[in-house]
Amino acid sequence: MSIITISRQMGSLGDEVAKALSSKLGWDLITRDLLMERFFPDIRPDQRTRLGESAKFYLSEYKDGKTFKDTLSESLLSMAEESSAVLLGFGSQLLFSASDKAIHVRIVASDDVRLSRVQKQFHLSETAASELLSSTDRKHKRFVSHVFGKDSTDVSLYHLVLNTSFMSVDECVAAILAAFHEHELRIRISSETKTEGAIDHQTDRPVFKNPSEAEFAKILDMYHIDWKYEPKTFPVEWDSEGNVTLAFSPDFYLTRFDTYLELTTMNQKYVTKKNRKLKKVKELYPGISIKIVYKKDFLELAERLKAFGSPDPGNGQEK
Amino acid sequence: MDEIRYKKILFDNEKILSRVNELGKKISSDYQGKELVILGVLKGSLFFFTDLARAIDLPLQLDMIAIGNIPDMTKSTGIVRITKDVDINITGKHVIVVEDIIRTGLTTAYLLQTLEARKPASIEVCTLLYNPERQLIDLPVKYYGFEVDRSWLIGYGMDSGEYGRNLPFIAELEH
Repeated sequence: MSIITISRQMGSLGDEVAKALSSKLGWDLITRDLLMERFFPDIRPDQRTRLGESAKFYLSEYKDGKTFKDTLSESLLSMAEESSAVLLGFGSQLLFSASDKAIHVRIVASDDVRLSRVQKQFHLSETAASELLSSTDRKHKRFVSHVFGKDSTDVSLYHLVLNTSFMSVDECVAAILAAFHEHELRIRISSETKTEGAIDHQTDRPVFKNPSEAEFAKILDMYHIDWKYEPKTFPVEWDSEGNVTLAFSPDFYLTRFDTYLELTTMNQKYVTKKNRKLKKVKELYPGISIKIVYKKDFLELAERLKAFGSPDPGNGQEK
Repeated sequence: MDEIRYKKILFDNEKILSRVNELGKKISSDYQGKELVILGVLKGSLFFFTDLARAIDLPLQLDMIAIGNIPDMTKSTGIVRITKDVDINITGKHVIVVEDIIRTGLTTAYLLQTLEARKPASIEVCTLLYNPERQLIDLPVKYYGFEVDRSWLIGYGMDSGEYGRNLPFIAELEH
């Protein structure tokens, strides 16, 4: 299941972003209060107060030799196995730092903006609001530093850092959703044939090797068909030491149709070689769909692309 | 145009109608008791669509859809768009998209993507002519009339420069 963690500064509208995000996704929003109710049902009022005040108290024993932190981590990790959720605060970005099913977001805003929001929200003087902000910032930082040994303001902990001085809550939600869907797609492509030894290079910068590939990308765009360029390499032959000696990297992956496409715009000699390679890929990686775009089809599609923009785009033979 | 030149007739009218009747019977038995909508893709499927609709012995709703090439002013290429949309509601209904021919399948893929967003109960494709070897995308082609190769075809809805659609047979074009 998937997890989105939200870490936020006070006055950054992070709570509002988390709420809007969870309602848009239809996922549970896990806040500190909910955690206490769900995972520490038998906690004493004095323990609850101390957890609210002292980060160090999380490292003391809760029960059965386990600390509050251990119990929290285990419960959250097992919850994440069962259902997707938006997690707000309590260093959740660090609990899920190793999970590729989680994305971590930090919501920030400039000091001026935060100050004016906090003043309005709590009807405080500028001095009082400023004091509240700095003490809350310190408290948040101390919690993550004591419990996880990390600096919560370190941007390298997050997939996304969004600034609500410049962005509305809706804009933040849209940005998080877009990042989440792309990330989820990349992880799916990456994990699909991982066990058979396929190599994932989706994080490489895509550079078309030749003009035909760039042209074909335009053709797919024309038909509104989503694609990824060369997301994976499928090794097909290895030497005795296990080094890859022959591999196949299909040019395109059509995300909605779960199909790889390989262009052949060259002469027949190479096409035969390519067909042989393709046969091997299909044997070694059963279940993946790879198709070859032959020169003739490519040229006809390219012709159709050129015809676009003219009032009579041709006779509809190319479907 | 004085005359339409073609190499040879591949499927004469009798052969076409007999196959269309077979498809109609198959669809009638598969969709018994279901709320069926058939959608013809203009203009190529026009005659196949009307013959097929009359060969289906079920209460059904029908509509036509057209895809056009709209130039995109911001790019040199342009994009495919629906120029005549479906007027009836297809949500929760069983839809069959009727095509004259499927080759690479890109146009049909676009169409299916768009129609799927309207949440029909099911969506299948019925095409008169089909070339599975050239297909780049696996489409739900549940019914097809005949397999064809790479030749350029004319007649029974298919055209060459807008001529030849009214020929009662399907012929191979000189290309």
